Amino acid sequence: MKKKGILSTCIILAIAIAFAAIAGNSFYQKRHFVEDIVTEGTNVTEVFKLSRYNKNLKGTVGDTKVYVIKGEEDGGSALVLGGTHGNEPAGHMAAIIMLEQLKVTKGTLYIIPSINASGLTHNDPLEGSPQYMHFTTPSGEQRVFHYGSRATNPIDQWPDPDIYTHTSGQSLSGSETRNLNRCYPGIKYGTLSEQVAYAVTKMINTEKIDMEIDLHESSPEYAVNNAIVAHERAMDVAVGAKVELEDREIGMRLEPSPVKLHGLTHRELGDFTDTYALLLEVGNPSQGRFRGYTDEKLVLTGEDPCYVKGYELGLLYVDYSSGNFPLSLRVARHITTIDELIASYNNTLDDDGRAIQVENWPDYEEMVNTDDLGLYLK
Amino acid sequence: MTPYVITFVLMLGVFMVGCFALKWPVGVSMMAAAVVGAIEGGLGTETIRMMVEGEFGYVDTILTIASAMVFMKVIEDSGGLDALSSLIIEKFHKVPAVLLILIMFIIMFPGMITGSSTAAVLSSGSIMAPVLMLMGCDAVTAGSIIAMGGLLGMIAPPVNTAALIICAGIDVPYVGFTGPLLLLTFPLAIVVVLLLGLRKVKNLDYEKLKPALAKQDEIRKQYGFKIYLPFIALVVLMIFFKVLKLTEDLGMPVIFLLSAAVGLFTGKKINVLKTVPEAIRTATPVMAILMGVGMFIEVMTATGVRGLIVMTCLGLPSVLWLIVACTSIPLFGAVSSFGACSVLGVPFAYIYASFLGGNSVVVLAAISLIASVGDMMPPTALAGLFAAQVTGVKKYTLILKKCIIPIVILLVWAAFFLAKSKLIAGLF
Repeated sequence: MKKKGILSTCIILAIAIAFAAIAGNSFYQKRHFVEDIVTEGTNVTEVFKLSRYNKNLKGTVGDTKVYVIKGEEDGGSALVLGGTHGNEPAGHMAAIIMLEQLKVTKGTLYIIPSINASGLTHNDPLEGSPQYMHFTTPSGEQRVFHYGSRATNPIDQWPDPDIYTHTSGQSLSGSETRNLNRCYPGIKYGTLSEQVAYAVTKMINTEKIDMEIDLHESSPEYAVNNAIVAHERAMDVAVGAKVELEDREIGMRLEPSPVKLHGLTHRELGDFTDTYALLLEVGNPSQGRFRGYTDEKLVLTGEDPCYVKGYELGLLYVDYSSGNFPLSLRVARHITTIDELIASYNNTLDDDGRAIQVENWPDYEEMVNTDDLGLYLK
Repeated sequence: MTPYVITFVLMLGVFMVGCFALKWPVGVSMMAAAVVGAIEGGLGTETIRMMVEGEFGYVDTILTIASAMVFMKVIEDSGGLDALSSLIIEKFHKVPAVLLILIMFIIMFPGMITGSSTAAVLSSGSIMAPVLMLMGCDAVTAGSIIAMGGLLGMIAPPVNTAALIICAGIDVPYVGFTGPLLLLTFPLAIVVVLLLGLRKVKNLDYEKLKPALAKQDEIRKQYGFKIYLPFIALVVLMIFFKVLKLTEDLGMPVIFLLSAAVGLFTGKKINVLKTVPEAIRTATPVMAILMGVGMFIEVMTATGVRGLIVMTCLGLPSVLWLIVACTSIPLFGAVSSFGACSVLGVPFAYIYASFLGGNSVVVLAAISLIASVGDMMPPTALAGLFAAQVTGVKKYTLILKKCIIPIVILLVWAAFFLAKSKLIAGLF
């Protein structure tokens, strides 16, 4: 009897070790997977690390790359943040496509595709998310990118407090301490998320960046959807872009940044810097709570029978009549909105000394209708 | 959505067979259900990664439970628990109703500052269990009071983790909750404790009780004030880090372990190598349940079963939404009350706060109270199981049965807040 007990214990232990080894290897591979973002043959003029604005980030996973596309003529500047939330891939992919495609003739475009690089190195427990997204480029090469988490990896920042108290005194759920978009304006010696937020704030102030655009996605049942969220100083720029987008039959809501909701880019970067702080949201069925089977296909196509039912019940804030909401559409909306925001920003200037001129924007209709976003990658 | 239904039925079937036919531990049954669900749902090589990832969803809770159990075992073995019980009875025996209410608030306190019913039941609940029984409550009544105290403590302000989870889901700051949460929980706490316990303790005769307290009195005499030091350490550390927030939070596991360490030197001699493994052994079934729950939810989500459940609930006629919220959220709590907040609490919060135009703070507070009932739902039933453990009740279902009327009162109270959120919000 005792021997039988020892034997069964050994078998269970062996199975547990095997499970731990297989899962551990998967987590290790994801943690160390480096996305191959192409700068060769692009118009990127400089690449540097975010630790330039907060030395504490040096040597950490938070020390992400900043890509600069500088025009020949001096002008204004804009900063695009992708990858704030790793489970909102349209922002991450839009930023990568922009830095690989766009050309700036006047002014400077700063692009950070993986602003919360730590969040991209893991997935949210209990969410059943895929780990990667695969795309095929025009040359037939397969390129792989992270599908990550909304929060900084606990390996880099743990444990969470019971309550996260923002520097404004606002209380939030403890896990929100790892949500980069609740940590602005940031703290130089704070948690990793706060250090990253501090670096972004410092960068905007140091480089006198005129406009900042943070790229997000939201659940289709969430009211702030297919929207521009604008700080009050940036409202004119946002209104101009919305009008132009609607002329192009791209529906867009306009949401004022809530004054009492702290820690978000559209609130704090507007209050603590002189930049026009804006945030873009687009509906993403792969992150919502109504969603069904969750895999890479759902991320790429946005096809989901549960959301079809949600739409039929009138519970969604996006037009889901087509039964899908593909990544190509979500990325196209982001890129086109940025195009219109820059144009609108230029229109608000008294003289064009601080204007920004950008070329090579991907065509909205073509991008929406593409089967593989890889066509827009190098 | 038919494939999701098949996966759901299969997962549920395997779980039931494991639990009831094969008599496997609940945690193991959940793991088996998750494995079968993952294979049938076509997760393939991702199965193992997702199951391990799911377990990590409850790492923090597991650490709190393990350390709380070590604290409880230390104060039990040191004699501190006996000493404190006899002291409380001696001081407050003349006013049993007031004493009952006071005990209820004491049970709630750790839950109020941690947002966890487990912390409440295992810390102050375990301390108050012998007091309640000495006052005349039978073990089941004492366990029921402790379990309900745990539920109300986790919802009462200042820290309500359930509400915080929903806040994060719909981007509402955790601001302005104190008033509605006080109104939701404290009147209920008074009603519940009197309903459950007053009949048992109203004829409390201290003189008759005295001989039964001889052993406890002896410990008090032998060790004096120092026997209470572990409790004082626990309360001081909680106030220092959780209420006053004078420095970076140590976290409940470290606070429990530090308080337990104090208990090693304040009473009867303790063999750490015997007490600590015993504590962990006691906590293992619940920790295993949480690991199983993590795997189960992760597989449910990946295979679409979670979406099926959410859409089935929301797909019912809107006139039934209130009833559906009050039943589906607690029922999902059988898997995990915090999971229920995320899976169903957030969609219902969208419905009531956004779609139906209610007051978001009151709506979230009410849904969090409904979700707390999940901690009484078998098989996980964290509050109920631990309350049974600290009162020595063999069958947890006896406590659940005793709590049915208080739970119904709680749900009706919460439903009223949910339906009339704007009216309630007008009071603050």
